[in-house]
Order: sequence, then structure tokens, then C-alpha cells
Amino acid sequence: MTVLDSNSSRSMPPLRAAAIVIFVALGFLLPQLLGGTPVAYSTLTTIAIFAVMCYGVDIVLSYLGEVSLGHTLFWAVGGYAAANLSVKYGLNGWGTAVATIALCIAAAAFLGAVTLRTREFVFSLVTYAAAVVTYEIAFNWDAIGGSDGIVGISALKLPFGFATYVGATQEDLWPVAFALLLLTLAFIARFRRSNLGTRALMVQMNPALATSLGIDQRKVRLAVFMISAPITGLAGWLYAYQRAYVGPDMFETYFLVMMLTAVVLVGRRILLGPLISTAILIIQQNLFSLGGDWNKIVLGSVLTLVLIFWPAGLVGLFRRFRKTTA
Amino acid sequence: MNKTIALAIALTFGLAAPAFAQQGPIKVGTIFPLSGGAGPDGQSVTNSVKLAIEQINEAGGLLGRKITLVSKDDESTPAVGVSRANEMIAEKVDVVIEGWNSPVTLAMQPIFARAGILDITAVSKSDLILAGESNPLAIRINSSNGFDAAVIAKYVVETLKAKTVSFLTQNDVYGNGFQTAVEAEFKKLNFAGQVVSTEKFAFKDTDFRVQLTNLKTTNPDAIIVTNSSNSSGLPAMVEQYRQADLKSPFVGAVGIMLPTVFKVAGDANNGVVSADIYFWNLPPFTSIPENMSFVAGFKKAYGVEPDKSAALGAAALQVWARAVEATKSLDRKTVAEAIRGKTIKGTVFGDATFLPNGQLQPRYVLFKVVDGKTAKLEPLPQN
Repeated sequence: MTVLDSNSSRSMPPLRAAAIVIFVALGFLLPQLLGGTPVAYSTLTTIAIFAVMCYGVDIVLSYLGEVSLGHTLFWAVGGYAAANLSVKYGLNGWGTAVATIALCIAAAAFLGAVTLRTREFVFSLVTYAAAVVTYEIAFNWDAIGGSDGIVGISALKLPFGFATYVGATQEDLWPVAFALLLLTLAFIARFRRSNLGTRALMVQMNPALATSLGIDQRKVRLAVFMISAPITGLAGWLYAYQRAYVGPDMFETYFLVMMLTAVVLVGRRILLGPLISTAILIIQQNLFSLGGDWNKIVLGSVLTLVLIFWPAGLVGLFRRFRKTTA
Repeated sequence: MNKTIALAIALTFGLAAPAFAQQGPIKVGTIFPLSGGAGPDGQSVTNSVKLAIEQINEAGGLLGRKITLVSKDDESTPAVGVSRANEMIAEKVDVVIEGWNSPVTLAMQPIFARAGILDITAVSKSDLILAGESNPLAIRINSSNGFDAAVIAKYVVETLKAKTVSFLTQNDVYGNGFQTAVEAEFKKLNFAGQVVSTEKFAFKDTDFRVQLTNLKTTNPDAIIVTNSSNSSGLPAMVEQYRQADLKSPFVGAVGIMLPTVFKVAGDANNGVVSADIYFWNLPPFTSIPENMSFVAGFKKAYGVEPDKSAALGAAALQVWARAVEATKSLDRKTVAEAIRGKTIKGTVFGDATFLPNGQLQPRYVLFKVVDGKTAKLEPLPQN
């Protein structure tokens, strides 16, 4: 909340700032408004975590125009860092979070450097290959959990000097997940208006102009990729504490499909797009499930239809609809 | 006088309240994969739990109440299993029987443990499930890798009296883990002979001629085989084993000789030795009345004979129901403590004895395949 407040004090009109504060307050109280049941808390916590996971992919798609199929790698790095460091070395939540950010940036710097010259299809393929290779390593390397994974992850502990916040239950984890989501949203809102954000857009939309203005395309691409990784990584970090178990399943297509659907369903470069898409997907799976096989068929079909007919997402469809009726 | 009335009222309420709370059916939850590749297996386990519930309901129910089943699909995905586990908690089930894939079980265990719901693992085999970290009151029906390795090692050392042993091992956690466990058992048995060679292959391999040629040259007294690819890899391996005309006995790891292997490789399976913990038509199961009524009910309801995983599902439900009956309680800790380290009578496995860590003590049937076409097995004596 502090980030948003500082935002509003600088440039936002007071009415808009007030609206944001009300929305944030409503969002925070949402599990209570939905009855305050453990299922409400766990579902909303999961939506918040998965949405943050998707925002990492969203940055790469929206600002580089590339589809990263390798973000499950960063998601898993976060999970494995939290699990291994807390179980084996007793690190608290801050320690594992810092490690997650550092490891994700390092991994993204490497993968980003390798994929610097690749575009579109090749970029997707190389990032996917990276995730597959990492999966094989995680699956076979017993020191970090092997095929069985890591059990016994204790509750999330965040010491604040005078007191320690403990996230033992879903109710306790909700404020942490909500704060992480808000931070991510604030970060992305800021990024859109940042120097790097505008440069990245220019590189994507008009590379010739960008070059003529002296923008180093490769630097911009690498920077955006490196920024996206810790976002997905921190989501994996919190997911490890929520589930208390981390295994090679964090590389599964379940998460990859979730990320891809979430970034295309509503539309690109819409701040709340991934959040809304994630909420739709999780609510469908949990409350309106058609059974495992049908869910996958429907999800796959929706993804294909959206990509073929409305590449701009549901918002694009809505705009087109308004144009034709007007 | 007033005090007596107050006491009487308090007593009536005190006694009546739990009695009221106990009205309505007892809820049993199952979480298995019902879709995707493992879907048919998960459905079979779920069906057998359902049948075991029907048999108890027909006999008058449990603690005088009917049992109802809440069944959910984990889609073989831990993340989905976690959502389903939270839904089970919301539905206030009294026990959950779960677990086809170990990672799904490991992800769900802490969630049930935190919610105070008893959770019995039917099939998942990972050793971590019973390590006590994710669920200090864990219970598992399927055999563990340690026991599986012990029965195979004992057969090779004591029955075959092998002096030279080779391994034909699937190069992954399952295969290598099993080999390590068998070698550890060899040490315990003071095995005088030696392991002369180890040949490895990948799970997806279907051509084993190089490895088999090497084994033919080595000509050991026994070859211990792990191969969990029951629809393509293992049938191919058995065929090529016959074609290479190896004289060494083929000793398969526990549980690899599934119906698909017989269906695909047929007669080539003749002479293969292996072991498993349940056969609906072999002794001692043919002399267990609970098993015979379960087999009859299963055939009638679903048109096929129950396999091992079906038996594991039924046993999980029966063990829990007997423990509930004995303790007159549905409390997680009370029921779990009546199972862990205790013997439960009257299950499809006969008297089911549990170790203090919650593992059902398995009783193996060692067998030799006598007619691969009809999957006819001959039980071997165990000393």
C-alpha cells in the first residue's frame, strides 16, 4: 500500500487515488466478504500467487512481444530456493526471498544472454528447452529433492525486528500474497511509464526508429527479461510456503498453460488483465469444473480460439464489438 | 434441588449435543486421478472404495450411521490435488483416502494434517510419505520400496542360492533406488556371492539387445530387473530376453508384472519370477472371507476381477472403518493411533498389521509365470 500511496502523492489526481485506496481495501477484505471460509482464503491466496506468476510472463509478452515458455524455470527457482534454504539452513522468509531474487536474476541474465539474438519462434523454443533441461536436473538431482521433492517446509516467518509475522495458515498467508500482488501491480504500473518500458515498446513496435535514436536493442531486451524473472520467482517462493511441499511438478505444463492463457485471455498491456484471467481460470477449475479431461479440452480450445480470432484478447473483442454496433 | 435440576439439564445437554452432532451420514473422501493417463487406475481404486462402503452400509453402517462417498479427481497434478484437498476440508469429510502419485500425496498431506483430517494413502510409494514431516500420523497401505527389495534379495540369496548376480536397471530414481535397496539387503543377509555387472537403460527404451548380449556373456546365476514401462518397454524386454536365449533366471522387481505385460508378451513371460502383495485368486487370499466377498462384489459391480490397487483402496476403507468401530470415534488422532502399530482384523488382506510409522506390513506372494498367455502364476514357497 505504501508504494501506491507514494505514487498518488506525486502525480495522481485525488479522486483516482481515493478510488485506488477503496479498491485495495475491498480487495484485502474480499475473503471476509466472501464468507471468510478457509476455502475462500485458500482460493484467493492461490489466485494472488498465480497472478503474480503470470505477470512475469506478461512483461515479456507485452513489452518484448515474445512468448517465454521458460518462466516455469523461474517459478521453480523460487519454490526450490524457499524449500531448500528454509529446510536445510533454517533461513527465514526474507533470506529465502533475497536468494530467490538473486538466483532468478542470475538465471535470467544467462538465459537472456543466450537468447539475445533469437526472435519469436526460436526464442520460445530456446526458453522452453531451458525449462526442460532444468526439469531433468531437478528430477534427477537428489541433493535438491530429486523426483520426490522436498517435504517439511515450515511456516513462512517474516521477522520485522520487533515482531515476527508467521504465515502458518491460509488466513495468515493471504495478507502476504495480497501484498506481493499489490507490489507487483505497482511495479508494473511504474514500469509502463519508465524509461525502460517506453524503450522496450519502441524496440518492439518500431525497431528502426529505436536504433536511429541510439537505443541498444539487446540491452533493452536483456533488461526486460531480467526484470520479469524475479516476479515469477517470488510467486514460486510464496507458493512453496503455501503448499509446504516443492517438487519437480513446478515445471509442469499446468503452470505453463496457466501463464500463457492468463496473458492472452484479457489482452496485452492491460494492467489488471493477467489478474482477471487467473481469477477466471481458477474459479472455473474449482467451482465450475467439467472434470479433468474436459477442463483441458475447453482451456486449450479457448486459448486457440482467442489466439486465432481475437489476438488482442477479450478486450480487443469488446472494442471490435463496440465499433461494429456504433 | 435447583442444583440437581441444573445438573440434570447440563447432563442431558452434554450428552445430547454430541448425539445430535452425530446424526447424518459419515463422509468418506477419495482423491485419485480420474482423468488422463492414470484415470482408469484411479477410477478402479475409487470404485473399490465405493464397493467397500456399500458392503458396510448393507451390513448396517458404521456406528449406526450410513457412510457416503465424496470422490474427487487430482488429475495427477499436485497443484490440482491441493485444491481438491481444500474442497474436502470445506465439505467436512471424516477421512480421506488418497494417493496414486507420490508428489500429489506429498503435496496434500500437510493440508490435511493442518486441518486435522485423517488421511490414508492407498497406493503412492515414496518413502517421504511416512517420514513424519508432512503428516506425523501418516498411514499407508501399499508396500514400501524397502520391503519390496528385501523379498527379492531374500529369494535370490536364500532360494536361488545365487553366487553371481547382475542388475538390469532402469536408469532413474525408481530403478536405481530399488537396486541400492536390494544391495543393502544383500549386506544384511551376509550375501557371500557378488554383483558381477549392472546394465542400465532409459524408461522409454524398447531395444535391450546390447544389454542382454552383455548379460549373456556374463551368464550370472540371477538377473534382477526393474522396468516400470509395463505397456511397451517390459514386454519388449521379455521378448528379447527369450530371443537372446539367456539361461539366467529373470527376477522381476515387485509389482512390475501387470496385466498389460501378459497381454503384449504372452508366452515369452513363462519362467519369469517376481512377487506382489495381492492376487485375488492365489492363496492366502482365496482363504480370506473378506477378500472372497470383495472379489464377488467387484466382479458383479464392475465386470472384472480386482487388481492390487483395487484391493489397496478397499483395504484402506476397511482398516479405517474397523478402527472407527473399535474406538467409537471419528477423531483423527484417536483413529490413527488405533491403526499405527496395531493389527486390524477383517480386511481383504486378512489381519492387517501396521508398523509404528503407519506402514502396513506387507505379505508377499512369490510367483513364477507358468502360462504367460493366460497370466497363470504358480506361487513359490518362501522360507
